[in-house]
Amino acid sequence: MTSFQSQLGEGDGDDPDPDPIAEELARSQRSISIAEFFEKNKQMLGFDSGAKALVTAIKEAVDNALDATEEAGILPDIYVEIEEVGDYYRLTIEDNGPGITKEQVPKVFGKLLYGSRFHAREQNRGQQGIGISAAVLYSQLTSGKPAKITSKTNNGGDAQYFELTIDTDTNEPEIDVEEGASWERPHGTRIELEMEGNMRARQQLHDYIKYTAVVNPHARIEFHEPKESFKFERATDDLPPETEEIRPHPHGVELGTLLKMLDATDSYSVTGFLQGEFTRVGQKTATSVADNLRDRHYGREVAWSAPQAHEDADIRAAVTAAVSNKGAEATKTLATNVAESVEDAGRVAHSEVVALVDEHAEAVGEEYDKTFGETVRENAVEAAWGEITADRRSDLYELVDDATTSRKDDAVVEAMARRLADKFDDQEDQRNRVTRDELREFVDRAADMTIERDDASFGETARENVVEAVWSQSVRVPDEVPKVKDVADDRDTAARLLEAMRETDILSPPTDCLAPISEELVYAGLEKEYEADFYASATRDAEVHGGDPFVVEAGIAYGGDLEDGGSVEVLRFANRVPLVYQRGACATVDVVKNINWRNYGLDQPGGSGMPNGPAVLMIHVASTNVPFTSESKDAVANIPEIEDEIELALREAARELKSYLNKRRSMEKRRRKQNVIAEILPEMAEKLSEVTDREPLDIDDSLARIMNNVLVERSVEDGTVELTVHNHGDTNVDPEITEIVSSDPGDHDDATVVEMDGEWFLKWSPTVAAGDTATLAYDIDGDADFDVSVEGIEAEKLTINA
Amino acid sequence: MSTDTDPDVKDELARERLIELAAEFYDQFAEGDVPSMQIPTRTKSNIVFDEDNDVWVYGDRHSTRSANSVRGAQKLLKAVYTIEFLANQLDEDRSSTLRELYYLSESWDEERAQFSGQDESNQLVEDLEIVSGVTREDFHMRPEESGATIMGPLYLREQTRRGEREIHCQKDVGEGGYQIPNNPDTIEFLDNDADFVLCVETGGMRDRLVENGFDEEHNVIVVHLKGQPARATRRITKRLHDELDLPVVVFTDGDPWSYRIYGSVAYGSIKSAHLSEYLATPEAEFVGIQPEDIVEYDLPTDPLSDSDINALESELEDPRFQSEYWTEQIELQLDIEKKAEQQALASRGLDFVTDTYLPERLGEMGVL
Repeated sequence: MTSFQSQLGEGDGDDPDPDPIAEELARSQRSISIAEFFEKNKQMLGFDSGAKALVTAIKEAVDNALDATEEAGILPDIYVEIEEVGDYYRLTIEDNGPGITKEQVPKVFGKLLYGSRFHAREQNRGQQGIGISAAVLYSQLTSGKPAKITSKTNNGGDAQYFELTIDTDTNEPEIDVEEGASWERPHGTRIELEMEGNMRARQQLHDYIKYTAVVNPHARIEFHEPKESFKFERATDDLPPETEEIRPHPHGVELGTLLKMLDATDSYSVTGFLQGEFTRVGQKTATSVADNLRDRHYGREVAWSAPQAHEDADIRAAVTAAVSNKGAEATKTLATNVAESVEDAGRVAHSEVVALVDEHAEAVGEEYDKTFGETVRENAVEAAWGEITADRRSDLYELVDDATTSRKDDAVVEAMARRLADKFDDQEDQRNRVTRDELREFVDRAADMTIERDDASFGETARENVVEAVWSQSVRVPDEVPKVKDVADDRDTAARLLEAMRETDILSPPTDCLAPISEELVYAGLEKEYEADFYASATRDAEVHGGDPFVVEAGIAYGGDLEDGGSVEVLRFANRVPLVYQRGACATVDVVKNINWRNYGLDQPGGSGMPNGPAVLMIHVASTNVPFTSESKDAVANIPEIEDEIELALREAARELKSYLNKRRSMEKRRRKQNVIAEILPEMAEKLSEVTDREPLDIDDSLARIMNNVLVERSVEDGTVELTVHNHGDTNVDPEITEIVSSDPGDHDDATVVEMDGEWFLKWSPTVAAGDTATLAYDIDGDADFDVSVEGIEAEKLTINA
Repeated sequence: MSTDTDPDVKDELARERLIELAAEFYDQFAEGDVPSMQIPTRTKSNIVFDEDNDVWVYGDRHSTRSANSVRGAQKLLKAVYTIEFLANQLDEDRSSTLRELYYLSESWDEERAQFSGQDESNQLVEDLEIVSGVTREDFHMRPEESGATIMGPLYLREQTRRGEREIHCQKDVGEGGYQIPNNPDTIEFLDNDADFVLCVETGGMRDRLVENGFDEEHNVIVVHLKGQPARATRRITKRLHDELDLPVVVFTDGDPWSYRIYGSVAYGSIKSAHLSEYLATPEAEFVGIQPEDIVEYDLPTDPLSDSDINALESELEDPRFQSEYWTEQIELQLDIEKKAEQQALASRGLDFVTDTYLPERLGEMGVL
């Protein structure tokens, strides 16, 4: 059992990413005893009743056993036994996995409650489980007996036997007994638990075991309980493909997870972190996310247009005035250059002015051998910026006018622009840096005021258009992207990063981390466990929901020994684990009920709800993170994307069912007709020869014609044998006709001839078009016995008269 | 279907036709074909006027009974069994009724050949008539109800099972008149004193005419139709007209159903259009009650029911009623929305019909 589970609350190497819930549980757990904690949470853990406890314990153990064997590339061979021992039940679960060493035992079986798989992006049963350790604890708390573990690794040594308890004060596993043992299995693990319980959930237990066999056709499972025993043989020797663990997708993480990932990463920059820790993030995507983060973190700087010639503002004069002691010529050149650059740029933001001033200060300084220091440059920027922003109103007028409909009154646009300009004029940050949210706030306040004062209307669309107009005229700031450290330390920044990640278009996650059962094996699994007349299966292509890829599969078995009379049986699986509780809350069942099964030939009273009939419907949802309705993981949550896929998969399989049922019905009809007509016509023929006083009739030809059948007849004349194939049907047929004859027919061009023990097998494969007749002839010497058989045509459509 | 052949020869002929039919099925089987028979569609839309004989006969539309369906195969099986039965019956010179055939089928060992209802056996016999060209009388099949009666100055000879009988239809019969046998072709007309033939729908009116001595007074052969006339009644009417050259008039109630009674006497019925030539008397004329009479004589009436109106409208489309006279009368009746029975004439006195109505009407028609 190599499915290592994490330790509670401790960020050890195995688990870089413990779940917030687990953490929280762990925190509360420090203050109370483990027993008390268990008692309080047993519902969530699946041990809320004696009946359910048995199912849960078995389920955990079997899931672990399957995972352990598969991970080691071994075909699972699993033995499960439930015995009554006095007031308790003893569960024994054996697998043929790789076995575990002494060091691993505590890790696997104790000191933990929660799986490490909450955020591993890999399809795995363990993700579903709550941990075999909970079963160990439950058994210990109810029976007082230790867990007895026998394990044998493949290195040829003896098996090891351990008795293990969990110290409920410290939550530490303790190995009480450790000794060598002999065990007939070459390798594997066996665990024995004694616990309180009852067999009232016998049906669920049986279902769980049977469904596990259906969904794991590569496993051999033996199951014994006090009253019944089952054996499920494997239907395939192919292990399911190994799944790749993928890094999380940026669209699929939660804030808590992101914070932990930020804490744990070695990356220094956000772009490096994104590329290193997430799937589908390359340089370009990382940069987009970083840009979006800057927009959210710093805001953008609104760009204003340079003063027009007719305006009073004069950048050159202002800059000249602001620079002192640098010589008139140099000062003038700098002022002129800055002013011209700003005019050339059209609209400039504060950071752009800073850049321009820096650029020209360097150049002019070099030319005149002067140094324009920090302070001088700041003064120059301030002077130029003051001129540029002297008239924000006309800029905003233009933007608002463009952004709103032409029906807006000019006075309203004017008032709106004025009020919005006031907001920027009064802004504390004179660089006019705003986030989009702040910008929206400015617009809202200006708009509200305009509505109030000018009795105008300024609706949602107009506001958003204005925000968009201003935002698009704003410039991304040159400030550095916050470092990983800064993001990790500040929840708000981290939240901004998460928003930036979600905002950015990113490729869907890869789907090779999923291991669907595959259409063939769904089919094989159903075929193995259900004696039905018909099976169908469908595997959908992978889809993505919230950053987690998922695949839905469906299977249908119909007829045969399946029970008729009630509702169909619905088998639900998540990541190859059968779901046996909370059927009514499950999305899979909701989807089944919403399909009109009458369209597919199943009875469905009222046209909705559970269909009736001798059928089994199977649904498998495989995902790196199957969304469940609750922590007990008994029902798939109603996620529209997943429901859609479930429906499509079911419909795909159901279409096959429909054509099968249609064909079956028409064959039944044909058979009935054939039966009736085949009885009537000979009667009629007999009567006719009686009435007309003529010799008895051979009516096979007529009969074949009536049934649109293929008629095969033999005639022998002068040593020439002729098999004629009349196709009375309306489609071509390709029968394979084998004639066994007791005399040598010689060689043949169009038939293969094989001799065996004095009998010759002639085989033809003619194609006979609708309404045509094919003649197959051969020669023999003297008398012979014949026997013809025809393959490739349904018995109902074939009449042999030879 | 001639009348003057020796009965034994005729029986043999009918038997041969039946066996021929069976032989056709036999040959179809032998050739590997699907046995089938073609029968004219027996609906109003598939009857056409035969200009040569002035009667309505079946048109070209056929339906095929084929063994390629379960129903068709069963029908043909029943047909073959029935053929055998009829052939044997002719062989043994026995006869049976349509109803007996139905019950008799119950005794057939092949259950699937048994009839599920009398409609089915009746229809099958009609099918065989059509396909073989032999009438059911010649198969020795007779209907359940006995034929109607004749009263009038007619002297005839009937071939009965108990030998020949010579009968005068006024002098040798009681009040009830002479009972028409199932196969009127066994009758030979010897002599008559009649001027015309009056077919009467209802028993009440027939009795009135006889009580009032109308047959004697006017030398009339009164034929009681008894509602929709049986084949025998229609056949003897035709023979009276054809062989004795007597005009035929039909006197019925004044409602759409009675017009159909006249129609089947004069033009042939839809169900037996294959025998129209043999049963219909195209020269027969309608006396009344005409819708016109209802108005003229101010007869007590009943309002038309919905089914009456439907029947009248359907008659307007019936090829047999496409004459100016009938169109006018039917439209008049739809207009006044009334119908009257023959006996309504009694409102003017018991003798009104014999003293006034019939003499007037027959006078108009040139019969009297």
